[in-house]
Amino acid sequence: MPARLRTLVALLVLALFAAAQAQQITAWVIDGESERPYFVQVQEAFNAAFADRGISVNVVRLPNINDALQAGFLGGTLPDVIMLDGPNMAAYVWSGQLAPLDAYLDADMRADLLPAILDQGTYSPDGRIYAISPYDSSVLLWGNRGYLEQAGVRIPASVADAWTFEEMEAALAALAQLPGVNWPIDMKLNYTGEWYAYGFSPFLQACGADLIDRDTWQARGTLDSAEAVTSLQRLQGWARNGWIVPSAAGDNRFFGDKTAALAWVGNWMWRVHREGLGDDLVLIPAPKFCGDLQASPNGGWSYAIPAVAANKDAAGAFVAFAMSTEQVALYADTTGYVPARASAIAISALYGPGGQGALMAEQSATIAVVRPVHPAYPVISSAFERAMNNILDGADVASELARAARAIDDDIADSDGYPPFGGR
Amino acid sequence: MIRPARPSSVPTPVGAPLRRRERITEWLNEGALILPAAILLLVFLIGPFVMAGVLSFTNERLIPRPIPTRFVGFDNYARALGDPDFWQAFRNTFYFAMLVVPLQLSISLGSAMLLNAKIHARSFFRTVTLLPLVTPITVVIVIWAALFQIPDGMLNNLLRLFGYDGAYINWLGDARWAMPSIVLLSAWATFPFQMLIYLAGLQEIPVERYEAARIDGANAWAQFRHITFTGLRNVHVFVLITTTIQAFKLFVQVDLLTRGGPLGSTNTLVRYMVQEGYSSQRIGYASAVAILFFVLVAGFALLQRALIPND
Repeated sequence: MPARLRTLVALLVLALFAAAQAQQITAWVIDGESERPYFVQVQEAFNAAFADRGISVNVVRLPNINDALQAGFLGGTLPDVIMLDGPNMAAYVWSGQLAPLDAYLDADMRADLLPAILDQGTYSPDGRIYAISPYDSSVLLWGNRGYLEQAGVRIPASVADAWTFEEMEAALAALAQLPGVNWPIDMKLNYTGEWYAYGFSPFLQACGADLIDRDTWQARGTLDSAEAVTSLQRLQGWARNGWIVPSAAGDNRFFGDKTAALAWVGNWMWRVHREGLGDDLVLIPAPKFCGDLQASPNGGWSYAIPAVAANKDAAGAFVAFAMSTEQVALYADTTGYVPARASAIAISALYGPGGQGALMAEQSATIAVVRPVHPAYPVISSAFERAMNNILDGADVASELARAARAIDDDIADSDGYPPFGGR
Repeated sequence: MIRPARPSSVPTPVGAPLRRRERITEWLNEGALILPAAILLLVFLIGPFVMAGVLSFTNERLIPRPIPTRFVGFDNYARALGDPDFWQAFRNTFYFAMLVVPLQLSISLGSAMLLNAKIHARSFFRTVTLLPLVTPITVVIVIWAALFQIPDGMLNNLLRLFGYDGAYINWLGDARWAMPSIVLLSAWATFPFQMLIYLAGLQEIPVERYEAARIDGANAWAQFRHITFTGLRNVHVFVLITTTIQAFKLFVQVDLLTRGGPLGSTNTLVRYMVQEGYSSQRIGYASAVAILFFVLVAGFALLQRALIPND
């Protein structure tokens, strides 16, 4: 059967030739209900745009991407593009797992990115960008207009116009009296993990404290400072009054049975809140919790290229494509997050001038504080989560914060201060 | 089947010394039979355990890092034993075991006896009772989270139905109720396993004993006490030890429902270990906790074994 053999060989050679021409890269992305349609879209769009250059991408959505990344980093088996949670970037770079992205992001794009998004992705020891997020997130107060008007509470319109602490406390007290309101505010205590460092650090920052001192990289003296204690005692007082929806009450008290009047949560709840409250939904900026200062958290899942990636240039092309103005705007309009590029905000239906999300875009541009970009962040986050949970359950604020600060400083000392970062 | 009549299949005469080659073949055969199990045990049980032992003396991280891992001697052990959270988790683990083991064994034995009795549709009930066992624990937890929900979960609605006039009980959010709530859920979720073993044990007890007891005038309680309960002695030992070890490993329920709270009242040793090793990425420290945990469980199992020997 020499003829058939010849055909087979010819086919094989052809196939090999085609394989050498076509380059397929793999991207691991997060798998959320609101993100799913976007990632289907970006794969098709990228493959269509790069067909003539022979590059295609296979976008793989992973429900437990953090576990997959941990395993991949340990085993050295990672695809060409990954998505990682922004605040974990420094830990990955410090251990040598990521490749810089600077070569793939041109100057125009960098000038167009929201400053806090650039900060989130920049590793301070070498000043390079290692992760880039297509979107920004923000947390603000969502209100039920019916209840607020019934209680006679002023609804602020802009970031500068936000409630002071006294005003907010009076509002909660008034809302607590309303029939139908079991809890004046839902602060998402049913969430676990990163939410606490993300959603509650603004209360520290608005009072002049922080999770850690960002010059000396020491938590003691900052996380357990008098300002931090005062601020979290205020939150604890609300919990003690029974004003905050407890974790066992579930997720839907604000938008479902409407037994909560306010919610302190981020953009990802946008669609659910709209469906639940319709025109009764109002957006209220982050409060001035101590004096005149305000803060809101920011950042989110970001694209990155592992150091072990085989096709870095193709991977870079994909990241640049996904970060283009059109793709960034699409990501935002699909998911409800703020676009990470100024040019995309301008064309976004949700966040453009006059759009419903304008207040969130304003927060992102004015009062966003990036989470500490430091390799110890995973420890900072879990220590603060534990302290915050205990504080809301009634533990002594000062000793909880002191313990969290000690745990963080111990960890930093264990790693010799994470050289070349400062701190002892 | 036709027996092959080849001379090699003739068994070696009893007492005749095996020839060298035959002995080696025999070793090889035995080795080949043991090998798969031995490899699995070595790779997935003994290897990790030895690794944990070594790592527990270092400051190793989960994610590799650019600075070298150092030996730190007994620092990790000293830190763990000096950490009030570790001891709280230790106490909670014991508290849970003390509550759940008697409760779960009573439920298991009770339902095993019911299902062993001559009732209508017995196989139907036997199947239904096994449902918790075949339901993934995460699904069980979601269902129970709805039962425990405040203010309008089923348990709170039941309380109101029976005239409880307080607002509601925060089952999982109140330090007094959280662990008993977890106990209730856990006992329900896994009791069919022990029930099956009890059921098998019950069927081993000869019917004649009951007949003889009835002739002697023993009532139902006396029959249970002297025949059923005593006849299950070896089953009790097995079930008690496995249930206790299982109870020490409590993790998923508290991690999903209470995150160890409120105020650490449901934090267990396994959850403490996972928090340190995975969330805080301190594998060295978590390994030391794992070794301490192993010593605790092994010690307790040996103690139980010594106190209640088999027949």
